Amino acid sequence: MPSMPVGLSRDLPPKRVMRASVGGQDIVVWRASNGDIAAWDNRCPHRGMALSHGFVRGNALACLYHGWHYEQSGRCSYIPAHPDLDPPATIHTTRFGVTERDGVIWVDTSGTAKPGMLTESLDALRSLIAEASETAVVAACLRTPFEGTMPRPSDSSLYALGTIRLALLMNPLGPSRTQVTVLTSTGLSLQTRHALSRWCETLRRNAEASGTGDA
Amino acid sequence: MSDFTLYTYVLSASCYKVRLMAALLGVPYDSVAVNFYPGFEHRSEAMLALNPSGTLPILRAGDLVLTETQAMLGWLATNHDRTGRWYPAADPVLGPQVLQWLGFAARLTGSAGLARLHAILDWPVDGEAVRKAALKDLRELELLLTDRVLAGRTWLVGDHPTIADIACFPHAALSPDAGLEHDGFPAIRNWLYAVRSLPGFVTMPGIHELLELREPADPQ
Amino acid sequence: MSLLYASNDWYPVADAACLARGPRKTRLLGTDLEVLGPFDDPVVTDMGGRRFPVQVRYDHLWTTIGDDPRPLFDIPEADEPGRRHVPCGVVRVKCSPLRAVENFLDIAHFPFVHTGILGAEPHTEVATYKAEIREDADEVWATNISFYQPQAAKSAAGGITTRYEYRVPAPTAAVLYKTCPPRPKAMDVIAIFVQPRSETDCDVWPWMALYDDTTGFADLAQFQQEIFLQDRSILENQRPVKLPLDPKLEIPTRADLTSIAYRRWLKRRGAYYGALTDQT
Repeated sequence: MPSMPVGLSRDLPPKRVMRASVGGQDIVVWRASNGDIAAWDNRCPHRGMALSHGFVRGNALACLYHGWHYEQSGRCSYIPAHPDLDPPATIHTTRFGVTERDGVIWVDTSGTAKPGMLTESLDALRSLIAEASETAVVAACLRTPFEGTMPRPSDSSLYALGTIRLALLMNPLGPSRTQVTVLTSTGLSLQTRHALSRWCETLRRNAEASGTGDA
Repeated sequence: MSDFTLYTYVLSASCYKVRLMAALLGVPYDSVAVNFYPGFEHRSEAMLALNPSGTLPILRAGDLVLTETQAMLGWLATNHDRTGRWYPAADPVLGPQVLQWLGFAARLTGSAGLARLHAILDWPVDGEAVRKAALKDLRELELLLTDRVLAGRTWLVGDHPTIADIACFPHAALSPDAGLEHDGFPAIRNWLYAVRSLPGFVTMPGIHELLELREPADPQ
Repeated sequence: MSLLYASNDWYPVADAACLARGPRKTRLLGTDLEVLGPFDDPVVTDMGGRRFPVQVRYDHLWTTIGDDPRPLFDIPEADEPGRRHVPCGVVRVKCSPLRAVENFLDIAHFPFVHTGILGAEPHTEVATYKAEIREDADEVWATNISFYQPQAAKSAAGGITTRYEYRVPAPTAAVLYKTCPPRPKAMDVIAIFVQPRSETDCDVWPWMALYDDTTGFADLAQFQQEIFLQDRSILENQRPVKLPLDPKLEIPTRADLTSIAYRRWLKRRGAYYGALTDQT
């Protein structure tokens, strides 16, 4: 399973938690107070609660159900029901590889995260989920014009829209569900970025309309 | 000394909009719990006499009776916010923008709000239809909030939270109750967090307190 | 196998309030049913018209689809004079019926899920208590529990240390006895009666029998509804969905004695509907 783009760094400030999915694996991605990012199996080993509902205290992620604290190593460091107990080392979360590059968060469930290489510097635009296959999204991209210009594929994940460059980073969530993280060339006006965001909506509409609707 | 009486139901997201606004503005009020469910008391003769549309919440301040949630938010801001920032009604741009969002909030009540009631209380509506409408509305909210993020803004209108944010917040925050998760909506997620971080914020079931803002040894 | 065992219990399928509004179409253990009023002379049938036995108890209508049902459990406090009965309506949750019961038995979550009501930091410590399977009644009991609560009940004037006892008389029902603020020698009774629609979704009917002469019905019911809806967000986010009965997947501590006893008791009885075991 290669590394997958799960969202934008901008959308995960310090002390925040988000949910992601890679290859069918439910994942919690969170950022400690010190800025360090971590990605774990989204399940507290106590009673199976989704850690993505949890809260960050200092550099630990606490589960919402019973407040069990897990430090960045994944090890349980505090159990509020037993404040004087030093939790045994056997209580820990399952960690995955995670890294950030070009403003994108990449997760790897089989080892160290290796982000897709981008040949140029790009700005993060947005990340969205389409109820369509990756193939349908790519096909829709090639027939969704932006201000009269049809996108041309240039490099892997990269498209040229006239003078604008666009990267569509795909994370397939299912046979008919894809997370698309969109980056653009730098130095674009706010107006253009707003227009590109709307282009993403049209792209999604076209991708979803083309599917058989069979989820 | 209470400023108004609110007829309310603890699980109602619409009632919560008013409770939240009152808490953020520090306005004291009396609460009358109406047995919306399981008793359907909002449809009783007594309640219909007060509010012919049979909905909750109902706000009563002296002789004034308000039955539209968004109007209650406007009343609270106009009468209790000396800064004028929560509802900049007189501003030629911000004022209409707030009104636009209040219209959107009403749409959300009919889509995400009904989807939630269907999922939790088996409300007799077409569950699939309201969920589909809710998804469409959430995507619209995500698009418009992404505009704001790209412009370096936090709130729906202007540079300060307004009644627009409070009107849209509950149904957006509670969409997971109906299985509509926020995974694909990072802008919504971050805006919800900003609202939850406001001083004086109060919760309702399904919307959690930010325990990260509380140090464990803080007194309650 | 697990369905056969589960079918021989009684389950709630309606209350007076919902039958007053008309027939109720519902689902029990995967079987679609229709419940017809009036509440004092109800009829429960499947889609083919086959009738099932009914009884009205604890302000709910109970039915069974089994051929040899175990008797419905007894809650003697229900008949004590002076108690207010509060049927709270029904809430649908996408979770295992067994997860719903186990959550009801848990107290370590109070400061985090019911913050400011049933618990608050820093009062998070769970002192040792006693949990056992009472062989004579074949029920799970937990006793000698105490916990500090900022708002233990609608009738409580401020924070108090509450005493708790839990009782599980059937796999999908749980009863809580807790300190009653207006009458320190008595206990309030709070229960959940779970109607399993399938192994992974259920209708939960909370119910109470309290000593409280001053609080209105709406306030009493909504106090309980608020608490249950806070739990719903947890219940719909636990994985695996079914309750694991083998200890490999989930790690308990001493605060989880009731849950440990409950899971062991379910396994012993073969009550696997909604559970994950090596066999299911």
